[in-house]
Amino acid sequence: MLESVEIVEKKPIPSEATMIIGLPDVGLVGLIATSYLITELKLEEIAYMDSDLLPPVVVLHKGLPHAPLRIYGNQTLIAVISELAVPVPAIYSIIREIVDWGQAKKVKRIVSMGGIPVENRQAITEPQVFGAASNQELLDTLNKKGLSVMNEGYIVGPQALSMRYSISRKVPAIAILAQSFYNYPDPEAAATALKEFSRIFEIKVDVSKLLEKGEEIRLKARDIMKRTRQEMNRMKKSQEYDLPLYV
Amino acid sequence: MSEKQRKRSILDVMNEYMEEFETLADELMASAFPEGPSWNTETCCLQALSNVSVTSREVIVTADMPNIEPETVKVEAVDENLIEITAKMKKKVRFADLGIYHRQGEFSFLRCQDRIHVAFDAEKMKISCKGGILEVRFPRKK
Repeated sequence: MLESVEIVEKKPIPSEATMIIGLPDVGLVGLIATSYLITELKLEEIAYMDSDLLPPVVVLHKGLPHAPLRIYGNQTLIAVISELAVPVPAIYSIIREIVDWGQAKKVKRIVSMGGIPVENRQAITEPQVFGAASNQELLDTLNKKGLSVMNEGYIVGPQALSMRYSISRKVPAIAILAQSFYNYPDPEAAATALKEFSRIFEIKVDVSKLLEKGEEIRLKARDIMKRTRQEMNRMKKSQEYDLPLYV
Repeated sequence: MSEKQRKRSILDVMNEYMEEFETLADELMASAFPEGPSWNTETCCLQALSNVSVTSREVIVTADMPNIEPETVKVEAVDENLIEITAKMKKKVRFADLGIYHRQGEFSFLRCQDRIHVAFDAEKMKISCKGGILEVRFPRKK
């Protein structure tokens, strides 16, 4: 029996928006960056995901229950976050539904923010940010905007699937990836990725408060990082360290 | 039924067995190593995230320890295979500070314990701390 995955809309969804996906992954970079963006830009909750593939969890905020995987938005932005580590068996259906829904809402593009795990992250004072895109035209745009491109390598997990499904559905997709810790929450990497996003898409976001709250975020994010690690192990995320063969 | 259909159904059966095996393995792990909270109100400790890597010469343990007083870091070999790292936080954290009012407690320390499966020399450890990431290096015993 096919498990259903459904995005339940709570408010009208804008058309031609930029959709940002920030799910728990390496260094929680995407999740931290996207959550901060939602708070800074005061985006409203507009939809949530309902699926038996997700664990039986609600998250309480100010006493009210919320689905752990939620979608926020304003007239020009749609942001997808998850407060639980998406179980690996569910990831294909979840990401497929998100991309399909984005396509149906005629999003202008899908942007995944995340981390590139680096062994020597401790020695790096300012993480570098790299981009990947679903077509040459977008890649050239990223280049012109001064973003280094991830020339050869592997991407594993939610960003990989969002790129794959976006390509097959012809929805423009970009990944913005900052060097980060593999298995420790990395608010600095998140701030760097967000700064690049803000610069490329000309959406004003001040990341100074994110950097100030860095230690607090690292303390609060321990549990979700622990659970994300378990899922990253299952999906063999360490393949991102592999050297690709291209003959 | 054609040969191709018969082969596909054998693969389907194998896939089903693999999924069942994985589910059983997860259940066994869950019962053998029950998950507890990452905090302990008795010891006033929050569990720190940590990682162990082993090279041919040394064991490197890192721990994410934001907001600590570096001079309070303590690294102890609990036994020949287990080390414990503890550090005092600059500021106590209460459940209420995290918006949690249905539990009571406050935490002053970050702590982690790591099992190391190779012989190492705890006496010769080197400790460094940068940006709240603690690194402890132990030479391996020959």
